[in-house]
Amino acid sequence: MRGQSSGTTSRRMTAVLAALVLLVAACSSSSTTAPSAAASLGPSATSGGSAAASQGPTSAPTPSQATLKVGWLSEPDTLNPLTTYSTEAEEVLQLVYDKLLGYGLDLKLEPELASSFAYSSDGKSITFHLQPNAKWSDGQAVTSADVKYTYEEIHKDSLGQYAQWLTDLVGVDTPDPMTAVVNFSAPQAFNPGLTIPILPMHIWSSMSAKEIGTFANPTPIGSGPFTLVEWKKAESITLNRSPSFWGTPAIAAKVVFVHYTNADVEAQALKNGDVDILTEVPPTVFDGLTGAANIKAVSMPSFSFHHIGINVSTAPGSKGNPLLKNKSIRQALSYALDRNQLVQLALAGHGKPGNSIIPAGLTDWHWEPTAAQLMDANPAKANALLDAAGYTARNSDGVRTTSSGTPLEFRLIAIATTTVDVRAAQLFQNDAMAVGIKLDLTTLDENTLGSTVYNATAPNWDIFVWGWDLGVPDPDYMLGVPLCSQIGGNNDVFFCDKGYDALYAQQATTIDPVARKVITDQMQQQYYQDAAYLVMWYQDKLQAYRTDTWTGWTPVTGGMVFNFTRDNYLKVAPLK
Amino acid sequence: MFRLGYLARKLAILALTLLAVATFNFILFRVLPGNPIQLQARAGNLSPEAIQRLREIYGLDQPLISQYFIYLRDVFTGQFGMSITYQRPVVDIIAERMLNTLILLSAATVLVIVLGIGLGIVAAARRGSRIDSSVVVGALVFWSLPTFWTGLILIFIFGAFLNVLPVSGTSTPGVDFTSPIASLADLARHLVLPTITLALVDIGQFVVITRSSLVDVLTEDYILTAKAKGLSRRQVVWRHGVRNALLPVVTTTALYVGLTIGGAIQVETVFSWPGMGALMYDAVLRRDYPILEATFFIFALVVIAANFVSDLLYQVLDPRVREA
Repeated sequence: MRGQSSGTTSRRMTAVLAALVLLVAACSSSSTTAPSAAASLGPSATSGGSAAASQGPTSAPTPSQATLKVGWLSEPDTLNPLTTYSTEAEEVLQLVYDKLLGYGLDLKLEPELASSFAYSSDGKSITFHLQPNAKWSDGQAVTSADVKYTYEEIHKDSLGQYAQWLTDLVGVDTPDPMTAVVNFSAPQAFNPGLTIPILPMHIWSSMSAKEIGTFANPTPIGSGPFTLVEWKKAESITLNRSPSFWGTPAIAAKVVFVHYTNADVEAQALKNGDVDILTEVPPTVFDGLTGAANIKAVSMPSFSFHHIGINVSTAPGSKGNPLLKNKSIRQALSYALDRNQLVQLALAGHGKPGNSIIPAGLTDWHWEPTAAQLMDANPAKANALLDAAGYTARNSDGVRTTSSGTPLEFRLIAIATTTVDVRAAQLFQNDAMAVGIKLDLTTLDENTLGSTVYNATAPNWDIFVWGWDLGVPDPDYMLGVPLCSQIGGNNDVFFCDKGYDALYAQQATTIDPVARKVITDQMQQQYYQDAAYLVMWYQDKLQAYRTDTWTGWTPVTGGMVFNFTRDNYLKVAPLK
Repeated sequence: MFRLGYLARKLAILALTLLAVATFNFILFRVLPGNPIQLQARAGNLSPEAIQRLREIYGLDQPLISQYFIYLRDVFTGQFGMSITYQRPVVDIIAERMLNTLILLSAATVLVIVLGIGLGIVAAARRGSRIDSSVVVGALVFWSLPTFWTGLILIFIFGAFLNVLPVSGTSTPGVDFTSPIASLADLARHLVLPTITLALVDIGQFVVITRSSLVDVLTEDYILTAKAKGLSRRQVVWRHGVRNALLPVVTTTALYVGLTIGGAIQVETVFSWPGMGALMYDAVLRRDYPILEATFFIFALVVIAANFVSDLLYQVLDPRVREA
């Protein structure tokens, strides 16, 4: 799930690319660019993973009878993977369903339902070999027909969030029950095996697209390490360890997700021992948990950022202030913004100043501006830019004006309940006023802000504050947001540049990570310098757990839980 | 006891009010900015085809006037359609939540009404005494406290400091109860703090109204007569005073029951109680029209019904109203 983050309920984006994270590590010193190199790396990459999976039983502690309790502040919308939009649903579903491939605790690729895979030499086909002993929780065997059904059905009826990863799908061949060959019309730098859950054909194939659209999936049948026992709506979700799971069984006998509607009460529940770990802790509550008895509060880098978006729409109906189409003004705003102050005051220090739209937590792909390129906390430079652009006159309020007397005054909107954004917007107002630009702040609820911003034909706004959560170690999805074709889709500032679009298309089919990084760096730099998006910060992922109930939590960029790896759930062990 | 014409007129007004409320609800949520598909489509990066299918499934592709008649049909057949957020029938969702709200509120309402009226009577009977001023001041202080704050303080005292009572939900998660009795006992423990919070905050209005009404009555001539007849103080207050002082209390009770069904939103939020208030709050944020329309309609229905019942009760309690 991907989307705009409100700061409290984060939505994770399943923008996952091929085995590329792994490949970067594997061949970062190599200059190989031929797709065939990637093809040969595919299977060898997974052989390590499958070895690890089969090693499991020798080193893993025996399964316990203990219950792991996870506290969170929201709950799933539905348990239907093809209609959900919530991080919470995806968290539950990734324990019930398998994808073909998954992420380990190092966020490198590991086998799930596919024990190995290989790219064809042209990069257009991926052959997956399935786990021989995989079973659905109702006892039926998992076969390549399930893979074929899932992929082709999602593609055919454009179902849910996964359809975007299968736009080039031609079809899935099943030479035998344990082999699925996924064919595309173009090379796929992105391997959809990392993101799409495989569904049981015998349950789903009788439904039409419309029926799937309203299917609540109350008793999911999956092949994953847990099965759903009960969902007490708005209260708790209980999963049991699956006896038929193909891999190393989880040590926890049960996982219970407990819903709290108040962050302070949730923190108190952790202190009381009612739950063992919290998925998300607000900065203010986090500081209160640091140092509490038997509790460890962990701060990890995240795949998220909050940003200022500037309306650069060229639509005839746009009611955005036309002055903002002048790049000098946008860059001046970027120079004026003191991002370190935002982190310290709005985020209580729990993050780092941002720049590119690929967060620093995505270390393999993040582009960092040089000191000379950096636009940040430099009012002198902002003033120089505005002076050079001719906005030297000021009105009686000290606000700069155009030569015809129009003041540099813009509307600023933010989500009222996302307090960090409101605070940031206020600080931004001060920074802008210091260089002679006036911002008028209005706060709205998220849905209203969404419909105001995403009005592609007649956007009636100037500047907003909002956020994105990537949540997965790949740049593809986020870099796809500023495309011309996403105007009317996810492109929330209506930026459009044919050169940028061409680079995007090029990186999407460049399988060699080194060559691809050159392109993605160029895209990040271009978008940064255009200054329609002023990334404010990369916030930390704040979580906390009890040290006296379960042991073995591994911190991961993006979070120990609520992340793209499910392995912490499988590997933590009870202390008593 | 009631004239048929009177009853028919009342019922007709009731039906018209409901239709007006239903219509108002439909318009209200559609003039709100935002729409239910918006953020889902963004979050899922949906194709235009998928967005169109969503609009068809929830009837949002129909002209507004057709949507209105489908909605009216749904409301008056008690169906309420499908929730856009949860993709399940609204009736099922409301049934789950309503049960939790009723459990919480019946406990709290009984406590509030019985204690509130009782304390009001005690205060009025001892008007001007130290007991009177303590009761009135205490009731007013708690009435003025923000509900969520009172809840958090109770959580702090009983959940954190003493750690003797659960602070959230309706049951202890992850526990398999061996018997229904153990399960009920667990529910009872979870009810304690939210019930006390509601009672503390809401008791004030009953204390004050009962007291002032009874104080008025106790200055009437017939009370003097009763005293002069040599009746005991208890007989004077209960038999001659309280019965006549109950009229405003009945109205307050009817209004209270009607309004609290709306869920004690704040108490439900503080104690993570999965009731109607929390459901409605989420539905507003997500623009889940079917849930909003259903919950608001049900609240209106309960308020109107409660008022109807209090009108009828007036007829029973007060002969003057009957004559009018």
